[in-house]
Amino acid sequence: MTTIVPPPAPADPGATSTDAGDIAVEIQTGWKLTLREFARNKLALLGVGILVFFVLFCFVGPFVYHTNQVATNLLNTDQPPGNGPLGTDSNGFDVLGRLMLGGQTSLEIGLLAAVIATVIGTLWGAVAGLLGGLVDAAMMRVVDILLSLPFLLVVLIVAHRYGSNVWNLSLILGVFSWLVPARLVRGEVLTLRVRDFVSAARVMGGSRTRLIFRHLIPNAMGTVIVNITFQIADAILALAALGFLNFGVHYPHTDWGSQIADAADNLSNGYWWLVFPVGIALVLVVMAFNLIGDGLRDAVDVRLRKR
Amino acid sequence: MAPLLEVENLTTHIQLSRSVVRPVENVSFHLKAGETLGLVGESGCGKSMTGLSLMGLLPPGGRVLEESSIRLAGRELVGLPDSEWRGIRGNEIAMVFQDPMSSLDPTKTIGYQVAEPVRLHRGASKAEAMERAAEVLALVGLPRPKERLSDYPHQLSGGLRQRVMIAMALACEPKVLIADEPTTALDVTIQAQILTLLADLKDRLGMSMILITHDMGVVAGHADRINVMYAGRIAETTTTDRLFAGMRHPYTQGLLASIPRLAQDNTQRLYTIPGLPPDLSDPPAGCRFAARCTHATDRCRTEEPELTGSEDSHRFACWHPVDGALPPATVSVEKSAPAEGAGADEAPANRPLLEVVDLVKEFPVGGGLRRGKVSVKAVSGVSLSLGAGQTFGLVGESGCGKTTLGRMIVGLDKPDSGRVTLEGTQIDALHGRELRRHRRDLQMMFQDPYSSLDPRMRVGAILREPLQIQGIGTAKEQTDRVKELLGEVGLPTSALERFPHEFSGGQRQRIGLARALTLNPKVIVADEPVSALDVSIRAQVLNLMKRLQASHGMSYVVISHDLAVVKYLADRIGVMYLGKMVEVGSGQDIYERAAHPYTAGLLEAIPIPEPEVERGKRGGGIKGELPSPLAPPSGCRFRTRCPFAQDKCAEEEPLPRLFGDGHVAACHFPLQTPVERSAHSSDATGGAPGTSTGKAEGEATAAV
Amino acid sequence: MTGYLIRRLGTAIIVVLGIILVTFLMLHIVAPSPAQTVLGPKATPAAISAWNHTNGFDRPWYSQFGTYLNNLLHGNLGWSYKLNQTVDSLFKEKAPLSGFLSLTSLVVAIAVALPLGIFQAVKRNSFGDVSATTLAFVFYSMPVFLVALLLIQVFALSLGWVDANVPQDQSLSGALAHFKDLILPIVALATTAVASYSRYQRSSSLDVLAQDYIKVARAKGLSERLVFSRHLVRNASLPMITLIGLSLPVLIGGNVLIEYAFNINGLGLMFVNALSNDDYNVLMAYTLITAILTVIGNLVADVCLTLSDPRIKLV
Repeated sequence: MTTIVPPPAPADPGATSTDAGDIAVEIQTGWKLTLREFARNKLALLGVGILVFFVLFCFVGPFVYHTNQVATNLLNTDQPPGNGPLGTDSNGFDVLGRLMLGGQTSLEIGLLAAVIATVIGTLWGAVAGLLGGLVDAAMMRVVDILLSLPFLLVVLIVAHRYGSNVWNLSLILGVFSWLVPARLVRGEVLTLRVRDFVSAARVMGGSRTRLIFRHLIPNAMGTVIVNITFQIADAILALAALGFLNFGVHYPHTDWGSQIADAADNLSNGYWWLVFPVGIALVLVVMAFNLIGDGLRDAVDVRLRKR
Repeated sequence: MAPLLEVENLTTHIQLSRSVVRPVENVSFHLKAGETLGLVGESGCGKSMTGLSLMGLLPPGGRVLEESSIRLAGRELVGLPDSEWRGIRGNEIAMVFQDPMSSLDPTKTIGYQVAEPVRLHRGASKAEAMERAAEVLALVGLPRPKERLSDYPHQLSGGLRQRVMIAMALACEPKVLIADEPTTALDVTIQAQILTLLADLKDRLGMSMILITHDMGVVAGHADRINVMYAGRIAETTTTDRLFAGMRHPYTQGLLASIPRLAQDNTQRLYTIPGLPPDLSDPPAGCRFAARCTHATDRCRTEEPELTGSEDSHRFACWHPVDGALPPATVSVEKSAPAEGAGADEAPANRPLLEVVDLVKEFPVGGGLRRGKVSVKAVSGVSLSLGAGQTFGLVGESGCGKTTLGRMIVGLDKPDSGRVTLEGTQIDALHGRELRRHRRDLQMMFQDPYSSLDPRMRVGAILREPLQIQGIGTAKEQTDRVKELLGEVGLPTSALERFPHEFSGGQRQRIGLARALTLNPKVIVADEPVSALDVSIRAQVLNLMKRLQASHGMSYVVISHDLAVVKYLADRIGVMYLGKMVEVGSGQDIYERAAHPYTAGLLEAIPIPEPEVERGKRGGGIKGELPSPLAPPSGCRFRTRCPFAQDKCAEEEPLPRLFGDGHVAACHFPLQTPVERSAHSSDATGGAPGTSTGKAEGEATAAV
Repeated sequence: MTGYLIRRLGTAIIVVLGIILVTFLMLHIVAPSPAQTVLGPKATPAAISAWNHTNGFDRPWYSQFGTYLNNLLHGNLGWSYKLNQTVDSLFKEKAPLSGFLSLTSLVVAIAVALPLGIFQAVKRNSFGDVSATTLAFVFYSMPVFLVALLLIQVFALSLGWVDANVPQDQSLSGALAHFKDLILPIVALATTAVASYSRYQRSSSLDVLAQDYIKVARAKGLSERLVFSRHLVRNASLPMITLIGLSLPVLIGGNVLIEYAFNINGLGLMFVNALSNDDYNVLMAYTLITAILTVIGNLVADVCLTLSDPRIKLV
């Protein structure tokens, strides 16, 4: 994707040596190499920076900046910034403190849902890819069917009934978003299992378990890890949509989507401080995960570039 | 007469994000009208980049420096605005690229694509251009060109696609045709057809041609002059005859000497050029070949030699020129007696180590309802046998089933019928633990050095894995064994802690060989072990394989499309065509007394780095394309391309016949006289279904 | 071709049956009976079970599923106990407006994203490409309703170009009379779609640009413009067909959010209201229709791809 014609003969590391056995001086390890490549990517580092900031902001912030986020203060509603750094909302809660609280929920649910989806998806995809044949066909039809269901609508229906706290919402979002990772992992397994190094392990007499745990899983890990970051971004967005439609977590908790919903009602009243801080926070966090994901994907690719 | 194309001091730079690569530096040459100039060298020597510079088609970041000069019929091309370049590209200079599979737009008809330059440069109407397209397609030998104008590229085979590519390049009758590795992606019989076609068209249309290739055999037969390139510079340039008769540059000498030859005595070691080419973003001072040159002195390492001599004389850039080709190698490989290895006590004469009997494998195509109805007949009843410490070479073009056969021998694919027996144990019937234990004796070496090593494992772990799986030795013993193996394949112990991507292709093939050796197998199946490597690296790996066989006494089954490689390594050779073994014999039988017309055609098609021999071959070789393995021809499968085919060949499948000691071929009209027909010989192997044993062959093996 | 169509249609029907079953089961578990909704919160357990018995809600699920399937085959989507109306008539009323929103924004998104992605790939790393990539990245990370709020703030509240309140008329013709007010919802939907489509189109164009046949086209002497128009556009756009087919559920999900944000009286808003009202037949019908539309969308995309890519065999 980078150049139209590959540059001539990517010179080998240590190519200047005269002995076929003499090789690159610096010893690198696999994951270290990925990390180093990742660290070269300025955008990805920006993503990490944003993420670190928000994690500290949401989880450490409340210890530094104390606000009352349980008792409403109806005498002090919808105050512009100045009354508290970011003003207050329609229940009289301090907006900055609310932002921290909502962020906790969004980050927690995003991570949990992504992990649940990835675990289910990886297992499903790996089993389908490994068994192949009819089992694979049947398992993939199930994925096709579920993939045709409108994600948001289904999640809304279930969340309306069972959602309300972090665990349930994570479970609901996770259980309905494992399909993409399942397809991804299956594809990866299908390409990996015909690679020569897997054949080589079979020729040595390697058992199925060994092939799976020593060769397939470590090699598919990169793809899976990259996918988790995107999955988190998607889960945070989906949670925001639920919150926006008033199906997010319940009082006394809050999430960023619910905050945007409250703010939206007051947009025409000119209470801009209600919508923009939380909106920007949401976009920045989702962007951070997407940036990290892009960076990781490139770093993993670079490592395999010389396959 | 002034030369048609004059290139002076061509220097090309490519700006990468962190460095500048200089793939072409100070390259000068002339091309006369009607002449074919060969540009030869290994990958990364700058030959393709030279071609692209002449087309003004450098990749992003690439540019030709101002002091360079490219004059076409007196007109300076360097510095031309792009609008004028476009009038030249495809019109006066045209190019044929390496990979015909990816060089055609998949969504446009071939008629459209061939007509496109005609419409562009000749201003022809759509209909006129189509007519011209049909004309050129006829010229390049596309059968029924008018009907095929509306075909899409995916409907054509690789060979036909390359013909379409040539038609596209010739549509506007260019003065210069640049052919960049035009046949590298093709099978050897198709390669011969395409090269003949190019030479023929060049003469008929009065073009000049620049033939870019890594293959000394190809230039020997088709070039009038040759530029040998190394690391972005011309090392040596002269006429083809003078070059082969009296080369002066040590690199040319090494390049030629490291190619295994058909006529070569295969007990001799191949000449090798040590090391790897330099990094062109930071080329060494002095002669760029100095680091790998056996003649190098201090002067070579500090002072860069210029290309000296007058334009038409023999020019070379070397401080210590050599004189002529190297004499045939004198170092012979010590050939251990076969019995010295595993199974030393057994009398090999009575019992072959490995026996393959009547293997059949078909792969169903498509899914759903059509599953099982159509299948690729990959291997259709092939038998062979192999004695201890010997090498059986399997040769054939892509799609002949040789790789599938190899995979069945090591148990990666289950045969549909037939059996594989190692020392009397039927391997393909084994299961579970027992199979796993027997795997020790049958190991495999893979073609692609980039995919055969797990990218996430260190070399140490990769080499230890076979021992761990088989539960051999303690951790300490395993490590010792791995170190010993690295030493045997010529890698330092520091390699243990490194990952595969830190190694070059040749080094990775060494690691692959070491891994196959770890368990001290009795047989190693090597599938195209060197075809992904450059010529000079190839010789290193081939020598290593020979040396290790001599010291370990194991047997090889070597699979390759390259008959010269197979002949260099093998004691006995089997020639496969479309899933059948058509001929089996010793290297001498195959090379000197080929009985099957396919074997003869294959031999004819292989380019040999000897100009006189090559020029005499033009126009010969096997005609046509490989039939579909979904529905192979009835009777003799080769009959559709065989010059001697008669009705009988379609009706009756030829049985294998004996032509000498262990020399068997399956043909109704063989090129040699068979030895007297006997019940015995009709029982011999060769691939006919129904023949059940490899007895004749087994006995022949013993006699070798 | 017909053989291919029949096979493809066969799979589609199996998938649709699967969808109906899954959706039915899901709602059956979430809300086994609408009795509470119908009889009100004060209904006695006896009254509820009596109502369930009369209306067949005490039968085993498969029997209820059979009835549902049978009704479905006769085009009967059920009854909205909350709105006292058949679900069919509800859809007939509201579908045109929602469909108009979805289709218009889809067309706008494709019309913008395809050229944009190709332009970005061709001018890779130029100022235009970098800014477009950055913008696409930001909007790709922004939920559609936030885009809507942003648009309302800027164009309705700050600039006052359009009215923040969208016509309440639920008929298409009534809404079209105030087309100006539909611009923001369409722009909001299209923006998010453009953000994701253009990213794909850019990378698929870059892939095509790296192909040998582009080099060959240049070697023929074609100008860059011709190289792109003849050999890049079609090849780079082919993968988009599948992507667009797959993105239909996202688009319809976007409709729900946008209709809610702008208070447009379409199917999406109806869905949100039905959710709060526990009006399960409406939920079921909307989910089902969306899923079936998705299957049809994928089918159409596949057929389009088959028609426009000669490599795909029609057997």
